[in-house]
Amino acid sequence: MNSLGLLIKGEFQRLIKYKIFQVGFAVSVLWILMLFLIGKENAGIFVPIFIFMDISLMTVLLIGSSLFYERQENTLKTLLITPVKLSHIIFSKLLSSIYIAFQSTILIALVASFFFGVDINLLLLLLFSILISCAHAMIGFLFAVWLKDFASLLAAMMLYMVIFAFPSIFYAFGVLGRTWEMVLIFSPTHASLLLIDYAFYAEVRLGLIVVSLIYLTSISYVFGRYLVFPRYVEKAIKE
Amino acid sequence: MKVFEIKDLRFTYQKNRIKAVDGISFSIHEGEIFGLLGPSGAGKSTTQKILTRLLKAYEGEILYYGKDLKSYTNTFYEDIGVGFELPVHFSKLTAMENMIFFQQLYKQKSDIVSLLKQVGLYEDKDRLVGEFSKGMKMRLNFVRAMLNNPKILFLDEVTNGLDPKNARIIKDMIRTFKENGGTVLLSTHLMNDVEELCDRVAFISDGKIKEISTPRALKLKHGKRILDVEYYDNTHTKHKTFELTNIGDNQAFLDLLKNYNIETIHSGETSLDEIFIKVTGDKIHE
Repeated sequence: MNSLGLLIKGEFQRLIKYKIFQVGFAVSVLWILMLFLIGKENAGIFVPIFIFMDISLMTVLLIGSSLFYERQENTLKTLLITPVKLSHIIFSKLLSSIYIAFQSTILIALVASFFFGVDINLLLLLLFSILISCAHAMIGFLFAVWLKDFASLLAAMMLYMVIFAFPSIFYAFGVLGRTWEMVLIFSPTHASLLLIDYAFYAEVRLGLIVVSLIYLTSISYVFGRYLVFPRYVEKAIKE
Repeated sequence: MKVFEIKDLRFTYQKNRIKAVDGISFSIHEGEIFGLLGPSGAGKSTTQKILTRLLKAYEGEILYYGKDLKSYTNTFYEDIGVGFELPVHFSKLTAMENMIFFQQLYKQKSDIVSLLKQVGLYEDKDRLVGEFSKGMKMRLNFVRAMLNNPKILFLDEVTNGLDPKNARIIKDMIRTFKENGGTVLLSTHLMNDVEELCDRVAFISDGKIKEISTPRALKLKHGKRILDVEYYDNTHTKHKTFELTNIGDNQAFLDLLKNYNIETIHSGETSLDEIFIKVTGDKIHE
């Protein structure tokens, strides 16, 4: 197995040992239980929101907290003095967080489809969930390498939810009118929600889907390349 | 053969514009244990981070086996082992799981079981590292540094938190590593470790090297060439000091030895602790 494979294997081993995998699964089960409480009539409205919350906000929180944990344990630094590439280290962490999001998406989508008869383009949803979780993993990385401690991470998460996530959710429920669309287009959460809605056969203009795809791909690259990569080493060796 | 040749090395942390390393030059020879000594914030750790390629934005020149360090790729890490000052393990993995994970990343591998046995952790290999004491974690740190059978060991306060028995085990392993041709860069403020292990030492303070020599030469340079004698003259304990030069011809000294009951004799040899304080202008931070 090459070094990337070994790093990925190690990440998955730690996902289980640190119970991140289990927590991710438990959160998905929680969403599913909520679906049963909401009932079949409204399930179609809430499933995209739950999936959105899981693969965007949970991804930020899981990757952010796991990196803070690693910073505390000084393990980021010790990996940097091995022959593996930094890009492989970051990619392995990215992949493990995408996997958690992928697992949740499949679980919630299958339950929604089989028990509540929600129409889903599963393939599209899974493809979009990769991009959404990738972009949000980068935001999680960004928080972990730029913020000082775990309390700051939680504060940043709250801020992120208030500035980006809540307006997107309000818009989805019609609380915010269409005039907000041009403002929300610059929100990663809104772009994510548009893509998820599209996979649930909601009426979304194709132009907005293209813009969302370009936007999420761009922030994944720009955040990763210019903000996470240079700062990762600095933060790791400063422990 | 020179493993490292460092010429006019400078490093400034961009964030606070602090000159951590300010024009230091020294070399480390193959098969030697080189001690980098200095108070906290003197520039030891920064120098070590530069030599282990964790910090790359330095000025000056570093040659590794005669070739610019910057020209090496990550395969450089196949050659080195780093023992950090603080534990560097996944606390929710066992000691063995930690070692297997890290060792897989290297081409060259040493015998984990043998290393764990040597540091006395074999019986605890299946325990979670989070349950380990500080001393056990530090011993595991040393095993971590040796996992790839390195040519060069970078050790930062390697006996920190260890009881005398376990500190002895680690020091013996370092000596054996050296006897087998290994090179060691030891950063520490523990002068016992330095006296026991180091072939040469550099005292670093405010980012500059203040002294560089062998421990013996430093002691001779900074010590006083005197002999203090305590003797009993049938009523009281008395004390006299003699010049060490031509002591065998000093009749007063010879008479004292012949006619009185000698209680103690001390040379004016200084300790590395005292040299440390004198050279770096700082107290040792225990």
